[in-house]
Amino acid sequence: MTSTFFLVLRRAVLSLPILLGVLLFTFMLVRVGNNDPVGMLAGPTASAKEIDAIRAAYKLDQPVLVQFVEYVKLVFKGDLGMSWLSGKPVLGELLMRLPATLELVLLGSLVGGLVGVWAGMQSALNANRRFDHWSRFLSLLGFGMPTIFLGLALIFVFFFLLQWAPPPMGRIDLMINSPKLVTGSYLIDSLIAGDRAAALSAAGRLVLPCLVVAIVFAAPLIKQTRAIALDVMASDYVRYARAAGLPKPMVRRMIWRNASVPVLTYGATELTALFGAASVLELIFSWGGVSQFGLTAILKGDFAVVQGYVLLMSVIAIVIFAITDLLILKLEPRAAAGAR
Amino acid sequence: MSGAPGLAAPLLRVHDLHVHFVARDRFNHLRTARALNGVSLQIRRGQIFGLVGETGAGKSLTAHAVMQLLREPARRVKGEIRFEDQDLTELTEDAMNRLRGDRIAMVVQSPKTSLDPLTRVGEQIARIHRVHRKASEPQAREKALQMLRAVGIPDPESRAQAWPHELSGGMAQRVLIAMALVNDAQLIIADEPSTGLDVTVQAQILDLLRDTVRTRQMASLLITHDLGVVAQYCDQVGVMFAGSLVEAGPVAEVFTRPRHPYTRHLLDSSPDRIVLGQSQNRAGTAPDLYNLPPGCPYQNRCARVQQVCRGPLMDLPEDADHGVRCHFPEAA
Amino acid sequence: MNSPSAPALPDVPSGMGQLWRRISAIARSTPTGSIGLVIIALFALLALFAPWLAPFDPVKPFPTSVLARPGTQFLVGTDGNGMDVFSRTIYGARYAFGIAVPVLLFGLVVGVPIGLYAGYRGGWVDEITLRVMDAIRVFPSIILALAIVSATGQSLANVVLVIGMLDVPVFARLVRAEVLAMRAGGFVEAAVNAGNPTWRILFVHLLPNCIRGAMAQMPIRMAWAVRVSATLAFIGVGIQAPTPEWGAMIRQGADYMISGEWWVSIVPGVALVTLIIGFSMFGDGLEELLDPRRQKGSR
Repeated sequence: MTSTFFLVLRRAVLSLPILLGVLLFTFMLVRVGNNDPVGMLAGPTASAKEIDAIRAAYKLDQPVLVQFVEYVKLVFKGDLGMSWLSGKPVLGELLMRLPATLELVLLGSLVGGLVGVWAGMQSALNANRRFDHWSRFLSLLGFGMPTIFLGLALIFVFFFLLQWAPPPMGRIDLMINSPKLVTGSYLIDSLIAGDRAAALSAAGRLVLPCLVVAIVFAAPLIKQTRAIALDVMASDYVRYARAAGLPKPMVRRMIWRNASVPVLTYGATELTALFGAASVLELIFSWGGVSQFGLTAILKGDFAVVQGYVLLMSVIAIVIFAITDLLILKLEPRAAAGAR
Repeated sequence: MSGAPGLAAPLLRVHDLHVHFVARDRFNHLRTARALNGVSLQIRRGQIFGLVGETGAGKSLTAHAVMQLLREPARRVKGEIRFEDQDLTELTEDAMNRLRGDRIAMVVQSPKTSLDPLTRVGEQIARIHRVHRKASEPQAREKALQMLRAVGIPDPESRAQAWPHELSGGMAQRVLIAMALVNDAQLIIADEPSTGLDVTVQAQILDLLRDTVRTRQMASLLITHDLGVVAQYCDQVGVMFAGSLVEAGPVAEVFTRPRHPYTRHLLDSSPDRIVLGQSQNRAGTAPDLYNLPPGCPYQNRCARVQQVCRGPLMDLPEDADHGVRCHFPEAA
Repeated sequence: MNSPSAPALPDVPSGMGQLWRRISAIARSTPTGSIGLVIIALFALLALFAPWLAPFDPVKPFPTSVLARPGTQFLVGTDGNGMDVFSRTIYGARYAFGIAVPVLLFGLVVGVPIGLYAGYRGGWVDEITLRVMDAIRVFPSIILALAIVSATGQSLANVVLVIGMLDVPVFARLVRAEVLAMRAGGFVEAAVNAGNPTWRILFVHLLPNCIRGAMAQMPIRMAWAVRVSATLAFIGVGIQAPTPEWGAMIRQGADYMISGEWWVSIVPGVALVTLIIGFSMFGDGLEELLDPRRQKGSR
């Protein structure tokens, strides 16, 4: 379908200015306060030769604008610099750890999204009755719990007290070999390889962190879905549908469909924020994902990695929004009319 | 207002309808507004009954009450609503739902926002037909096209594929009328159907409504605040004030020989009359429905008010041709 | 289709004698909001009177009672350095408010004028402002905050500035939306035509009307500020040990969770969660109260 292709293309082109803005931001990040970026990029252990190499690569003797152009060129070639902590190229390090993060966030958001939207919808349909009060209460709790506390509390309850969950150290039991690398997700890869022990271990380790992600994602979703659904239920067209005698299931379907677009938009925003929450979880559970790597780099001052990490997170956000926009174009007839 | 004796029973008969709003204000006190106080009216086949009054007089509320669409905090506390000799207030929600969109239909003020934004217009008409008449898909589609033609929409095949936001106000209103007629409704309640439309489009819509009522021998309750519309399109008229129907009768009668002081005031309030200073009644703000005085709702604005007006108000006499709820009506 | 709306409710009599009745009636009408307010007030008192309420000096270590269990001497035990957890938690309230309040002020003082001006000016000024605000808003805030604080140097002031900066788009957007609504109503045009200077229009005419939406958001933003600052401290940015800040305390106690000394993390954690929920509940209650639909008696 060429129309879809062009839509995607147009969306990609529209994303470029944002991408440039992000690059500008990461570029400035290491030049804040007139710091000589060499110090931040090379690290405290760099030799004079390495420092010179960095100066040359990034053209740091040239005016700022030239530096920026050089930086952008390098990024598009895939060169995100070197991590002085690990001595390896940043891009490779990031990509290697990305699947773990994706596994966590996508699985958790899937569960959280389904539960959250469903609960929010049911709340709206039963407004001010028992279900509504309970789900709003739970939503408030979920809202209130910062990820750090939620993660630790669950570890305490399920690992220490009940001894149901495995220790929060990594994605698989230390004694078990990780499966052959296909997707990067231990769970999927061990299923593909038919390694039962590894699959069980990976699944077990996934439960707690995914639960936290799901709760963090579901809480605001419940509240917002409820509000959106209530708005739709009070709209002229729903009232008119009732006046026309349309049966309840049909009216309910109308409410779902009309609420889905705003909910989707909201969900996309929450999903990008979820990566932030998941980053903290990676620290708590020693998950070995890209966020743990990035956050550690921030703490230790490995700024090439920080640049790359921020860039990666931005790209993920851009992609999420682009996909959402495209979905909305498909679902919402009014969107096409408003398109430039 | 029963017209010549010996005629068939009225299609719609509302008797002594009382509706209250019960709500908590921001300080959590319970407040009751008496929004409808003893409204009674009758509509016969082939008739268009116009309901006029200021904003807040209770016209739309009456319409919603008839359709049994009242939602909290509005509540019907008393009164009978007979349609085709069935008391609508006694029906279950399911039974009433079967009547809505089938034998009683509604046309409303903002047609564009009343259509489902995510469904094509033709399908919206078709599904009402499918739901109530169990028609098959092709049957319903054909009927939808038929209705689009009947309401005067050119090129119905392509129009049926349109989304609601692509239609003009007038076009959308025609679609609503098509939706109202698709199941041969006997009563159409039109709540300010032409407000917000261009003057020419207004006339077209109202013409369409009138023609439909005449040819199909249906009836219509037309709610409006525009006296000119009533004069031109309605057979009977009812004047509402502060939740009461204060006067009702044939349009020509009521407009040339108004008996209630408020009706007189309405008619006198046309711009040229005000200039001539011919109105004797006090204009004023709308009465506070949470604190209605006992007795006649018009007492604080009436030039003829007496002590007895603060006592109980009589009901609208049902079999009079030209009824009025006033202790001191103008001579007939 | 306009469903008939309930008639407008009458105005309530004013006067000092009625004040208490009004307040208690409002409080009763939103239980969530009232509870939230009580929680906030309690913690504010803790913060204010910490030196008198805390049994011990929060940074005084008791080397002989490291990781002591909750008991008669140390109400909820001591941490890895032998410091009393109870006292530290009470003092933590000071840091919570000490960050949340300046953050809110920063967000308001910077965000509201931006929103006012962008909405008022329209055109490309508005467009650009909107894009920049949106860009800040959609990015995962924790990561953004972390990156900036680490790049600019780890100090409390920086933390406040950065988190405050993240609040700016929220308020700007809210206020801008209200301004746009007022423009649509011809309000702005009238003020301009009457010859008012720009600053007057913005601050005397527009501001009072547009602040309503922002008001309901304030407690929610404070909840968020407390949450983010604790998370930052947990990760290790901005606040150094042995400062008795809840996030840092939770971090310190995280290692002991696995070995069973739960009180080091859980106690400050519960305090943190309670205050955040308090702010959220208050925000919810405020939203309910300020909802214009409520005052008209709803549909």
